[in-house]
Amino acid sequence: MKKIIKNIIVWMFFAPLFIITSCKKDINEINKTNPNEFSDSDAKLMITGAQLANVMLNEGEAARLAGIFAGQFTGYDRQYISYGQYNVNAGDFNSAWENLYTNGVGQCKLIKTKASANGDKVLEGVAMITEANLLLTASSLWGNIPASEACNENFPTPKYDKMADVYTYCIDLLNSAITKVGSSSNYASAYSGDFTWKEVAYTLKARALLHSKDYTGAIAAANEGISLGNDFYAKHETASPGAWNLYYDFLDWNRGGYMSCEDSHIFALLDSASSINKRNIKTDESERFNHYFLVDADAPYSAVDPNMYGGIFDAVSNFEMLGYNENQLILAECYARIGNNIESLKHLNLVRAAHESNYGGYNAYVITDSQVNTTANLLKEILIEKYVSLFGQVEAFNDVRRTSNLIGVPVNNGTALPGRFLYPQSEINSNANTPVQSQSDLFVPVDLYK
Amino acid sequence: MINYLKLGLFALIIIALGNTINAQNKTNDTIVKKSDGIQLEEISITAIGEQKNSRKIGYSTSQINGKAVVSSGESGLIQGLSGKVSNLAITKNSGDPGAGGFIQIRGQSTITGNLQPLIVIDGVPMSNSSFGGGVDGVVQQSRLNDINPQDIANVEVLKGAAAAAVWGTRASNGVIIVTTKKGKYSDKKNNMNIELSSSFGLDFVNKEYEKQSIFGQGTGGKWKANTGGTWGDKIETRSGTDELNMNGAYFFTYNKENTLYRPILKKGDKTVYNDLNRDQVFRTGKTFNNNVSISSANEKSSVYFNLSDWNQEGILNGNSDYRRSTGRLNYTHNLNDKFKFSLNTFLSKIYSNRIQQGSNLDGLYLGYLRTSPDFNNTDYIGTYYNASGVAVFNSHRGYRNYMGSAAPTYNNPGWTLNKQTNTSDVSRIIITPEATWEWAKKSILTVRTGYDVSNDRRITYFPTLSAGSNANGAFTDEFIKQSELSFHAYNKNVIDVNNNLTINTTVGFLYTNRGIYNIGGSASQFILNNQDRFAFINSTSENKNPFNNIQNQINNRIYAITDIDYLDKIFFQLTAASEASSTFKSRFTYPSASLAYEFTKDILKGNAVLSYGKLRSSFGLVGVEPPAYLWSTNYINSSSASGWGETLDGSQFGGSIYRSSVQGNPDIKPEQKTELEFGTDLKFFKNKISLSASYYQNKTTGAIFAVDVPASSGFTSKWDNAATISNKGIEVELNLKVIDNQDNPDKLGLNIYGNISKNKNIVDDINGVNSIFLSGFTGTSSRAVAGQALGVFWGGKWETDASGNLVLDANGFKKAAATEGVLGDPNAKYRAGIGTNLSWKGFNLNVLFETSQGGQMWAGTYGVLNNFGITPETANEVTVTADEASKIKNYNGQTIDKLTTANADGSYTLRGNLEDFGGGKVLLDQSWYTGLGGGFGSVSQDYIKDASWFRLREISLNYNLPKSILNKLHIPGASIGFTGRNLLLWTKFPGVDPELNLTGTSNGRGLDYFTNPGTKSYIFSLKLNF
Repeated sequence: MKKIIKNIIVWMFFAPLFIITSCKKDINEINKTNPNEFSDSDAKLMITGAQLANVMLNEGEAARLAGIFAGQFTGYDRQYISYGQYNVNAGDFNSAWENLYTNGVGQCKLIKTKASANGDKVLEGVAMITEANLLLTASSLWGNIPASEACNENFPTPKYDKMADVYTYCIDLLNSAITKVGSSSNYASAYSGDFTWKEVAYTLKARALLHSKDYTGAIAAANEGISLGNDFYAKHETASPGAWNLYYDFLDWNRGGYMSCEDSHIFALLDSASSINKRNIKTDESERFNHYFLVDADAPYSAVDPNMYGGIFDAVSNFEMLGYNENQLILAECYARIGNNIESLKHLNLVRAAHESNYGGYNAYVITDSQVNTTANLLKEILIEKYVSLFGQVEAFNDVRRTSNLIGVPVNNGTALPGRFLYPQSEINSNANTPVQSQSDLFVPVDLYK
Repeated sequence: MINYLKLGLFALIIIALGNTINAQNKTNDTIVKKSDGIQLEEISITAIGEQKNSRKIGYSTSQINGKAVVSSGESGLIQGLSGKVSNLAITKNSGDPGAGGFIQIRGQSTITGNLQPLIVIDGVPMSNSSFGGGVDGVVQQSRLNDINPQDIANVEVLKGAAAAAVWGTRASNGVIIVTTKKGKYSDKKNNMNIELSSSFGLDFVNKEYEKQSIFGQGTGGKWKANTGGTWGDKIETRSGTDELNMNGAYFFTYNKENTLYRPILKKGDKTVYNDLNRDQVFRTGKTFNNNVSISSANEKSSVYFNLSDWNQEGILNGNSDYRRSTGRLNYTHNLNDKFKFSLNTFLSKIYSNRIQQGSNLDGLYLGYLRTSPDFNNTDYIGTYYNASGVAVFNSHRGYRNYMGSAAPTYNNPGWTLNKQTNTSDVSRIIITPEATWEWAKKSILTVRTGYDVSNDRRITYFPTLSAGSNANGAFTDEFIKQSELSFHAYNKNVIDVNNNLTINTTVGFLYTNRGIYNIGGSASQFILNNQDRFAFINSTSENKNPFNNIQNQINNRIYAITDIDYLDKIFFQLTAASEASSTFKSRFTYPSASLAYEFTKDILKGNAVLSYGKLRSSFGLVGVEPPAYLWSTNYINSSSASGWGETLDGSQFGGSIYRSSVQGNPDIKPEQKTELEFGTDLKFFKNKISLSASYYQNKTTGAIFAVDVPASSGFTSKWDNAATISNKGIEVELNLKVIDNQDNPDKLGLNIYGNISKNKNIVDDINGVNSIFLSGFTGTSSRAVAGQALGVFWGGKWETDASGNLVLDANGFKKAAATEGVLGDPNAKYRAGIGTNLSWKGFNLNVLFETSQGGQMWAGTYGVLNNFGITPETANEVTVTADEASKIKNYNGQTIDKLTTANADGSYTLRGNLEDFGGGKVLLDQSWYTGLGGGFGSVSQDYIKDASWFRLREISLNYNLPKSILNKLHIPGASIGFTGRNLLLWTKFPGVDPELNLTGTSNGRGLDYFTNPGTKSYIFSLKLNF
């Protein structure tokens, strides 16, 4: 009898355990959802993240490298010395590329679907403009890139569209967005300024058409583009890491001394002591110089630092993503290209007028002034003005390349300026569609700029 | 297939239980059979914590006596095992006191997830995590080192899958079974063994960098203040004194002399401060270790009690210390023949302060090693007065801001050591109640629960004016709770079928619940700067960032083990475990089997040479459970950042939650590792020589990692069971009793022991992906690459043509290739340890050498010091003829005659090295080292170096005082001892001690980048028994 009781006790002990172990369902519950993260989000909340990715692309690492390649900055310390000598490899481009697609384009595609389902046309249009802005900058740097198949679950290894096709894809997005955003400037937590989405879309389109050498198309778009005082800025209004100006963050906060303007071409263009400076009887660059540079005792890291204390790259300086000046200079260049120098000069003078009210020191050129008296001189003056006005922007590097370095940026190492970015190592590792590249490809311009 | 296995398992359980029930009817009493022939008393501990005669084991196992761990003089159990077991590789994080270590048994067999062996202490799994650790920050402890080595009776290393199968998804990296001491009967009057032991240790840095002392701070051959590089003028050519600006700004120090520093107009000082700067950084580390233990036992009960205190001051001359106080009570009580109870309790309190290291502007070695030889780091703090007399108190002065007018680009080492705080305050409790009940004859039920909980409060504090992004002050206060609750019940049953056949069955159930809870916050941009407070009130709202993270995992497992002893010479074991876990969806079953055959019972019986011989073979399947929360693609706070640190945080822009770039996978399964092992245990000449050898091969399939997917798909990675990794190798352990003095310990005894192991690892497949990042930097990393060993170095290479020749640029220099590739392998070709033990009349001398051969390491520090012109290599001077000077170019294409002026005889002398890459001689000078040729260039190929080492791991001498003296002192036992640890190291590696790794316990290996140095130690000990 006692034995039986013991047996029962032992069995009673084990039997429930087997029952517990066979219940797989309960045990999985605790790991079913991640308590530290969310399972889904709202398109309205997602758009800010995508826009920040756009800001990162146009103001962060890619913009700095473009700026070094375009002679606006000099690699001054540690790894940046190599960058200044154009010694970069595929791995150096991973982070900019990953940010562009995963934080930017991928989110835009999700937002478009969600917003469209909700009937929120403005949000859908804003996502389209963000996507176009991202892909246009990316294509200008890398040339052929995934666009039509990018960030789509049906294409785990997206194909690379030709640069011209990427541009067409983006212009289509912008055209579609223009019909959706009305006159709104909503959904812009990452941005600042009195812009409207419609004007932003038109200026972006004008930029794309200019790169495509469709000058009349670009004029038509730019005529609807950003108007005076309505520039489109990345917002940096809080003096905190994670919020402030990305150039400031790099130049002073995280990587003090890596990048300088000492011996840069932009400094030479503005420095009164330089033989190639752009000052003349109608142009006094003193105020803009002070806005752009810290020199001598004011420069903490080199002889000439980009102005991160109170100037263009201050911690709370908003960063120009797209502006009136660029829009007018697109018009100026396009009119010059189609032989209408008078109209061209009008737009150049509009930019100079804007500088006059902003900095002071600029008088209007007349067509007989030596700077603008021939088409060649006029074009050079426009492009130098654009190079200087777009300090720190990727577009300055685009202009240098698509005009075969018309303004004569000096080459730091070898015989040519870089013509493009290298495809990133992470993409080469995982996408067989990535074009094969060698180091010398760095110096081959992207298709549209050839 | 799985269903069949399940069915088989349940059948096995039913049979086992059936046997259990039947056992009581048997009356055969012969439990212990005398083994004829040689009496072997070696006992091994099995995976579930049971004792088993080593003879009967069919898999490979290694034992280390607790004494050996103690005599190593290491604070932690992990490091104490170094060199003592074959195929057990231990990598230290650094020489910081209390630093964790990484244990690897038989090579790495998985990519992410848990890489380390499971530690089971007194039958209960314990947490051995190092929470945190990367390329910067401080070295974290390993929770395994919380245990007091004095408490350890025995450590058993189960290397193969078969031995460990009952632990299912946690056993794939092997299992280390730790058994703590039990109370022992004493023949003294009071039945008490009281032991007092104390030791005092001195620690020194074991390997340093040599810095050049010829050239000063500057660039292009000219002195320049605050610049990073040491490419300035030749120090000996200076005038002798600095010309100062006596009217402008100045820096007022807080030293006794209140030294003033003024702006230097012209550098003239010829002094080289390398030695002074070195002495600022290092000191003699000191350790006091005290233990008291009481042990007692009678027929009914036993008690082991221990209190210990380990108090260590590190070799880094500042806030570097480690204090561990522990208490343990192990109690057993036999109520009667049938019921036994035991309770092991342990508590540990650890307080330590660490020094920032690695790729970190606020790290120690970064600021110290880069400091120019002509700069004196001594005065790091003071008041800066600007030219108009405005004072900034507590200003920070370093070689990159010698006036202290703002935070220097790099910390002065004095600041890193003394002003920054990095504390860890840990409390840990492990409690293990256990009951056994012999409820039927030879059928014993064991029920054991365990609770292991540790709380760690960590503070990271950078005062205002620390270098880099901490310039306005930053601190983090966080709390980490880790816990593991386990419940384990098993029934053991012996059936003697007949005199020749005995069947042991064990059937058990194990439940574990693990949790990690991390909560804390960080704050930056301090409001008040003159007082160090670890308080969030010192920051404005937008500069406070709270965080929390929770993780919970539950596993349950049933298992059955059947042991069959046939004729006391054939031993067969069959194990099956079936496991469910909260981290994967369907139940998994893990079988294993082992067979041992003591062939000397049949052949070579009574052979004079071979006294014992056993052949063994085993097969096992174990798993690695997936980490928690891989099932779904999640939505996270939006954040864009680059590798340089600049960030845009959605929470600063009104909040933004978007899709994570990591794609989840609802079908994730445990990884499966199968292992096949063959081995033999042999003893020769009446056990004078014993030899144990094993060959194994294992293969992990479905290894989990975040598979790189093209970012253009919208994700950067996707969790998947994607990799296949294989290891194969051999391991041999040998013990030679050259002179056996077991009969009389006073006589001379000499023992030689050794082990050697070789492991070959290969990543067979990683799902078509080119490579997977494991740890390291954008430029150089440790990765998994298909067809290569796990952890290979990856980075920029030199461009070569189709036939492998270097492609040269117009000036004759090497060029960087566009794409990166494999650069080397951190895995050693073989590792070995050899030692000798000599005893005579109470003296005992133990010497242990250890070596690791054939592995490589990334000399990241050395490469960067080349960039800065600090290494002696970069301070070389060459003289060339006028003809050569007009031809030889530097990297910028300038010829030597343009770079310097001619000597009187027409020759040219200048700083640099002449090298021929295949296109004629070129000059390697600043332009080369600060560009492609140095550690900041995009090519790291040249800095992958051989990291083989050979070291005197341990030398210890103990003397047990003889009875004659003891009697006079009226104490029953006393001994004094000396241990030297790591005293000699031979290695060609140009960097830290190559057994260290910057990224510590991460899955990547072999990285040196301003890693805090390793140590050597001299330890004196005294032990008294009462």
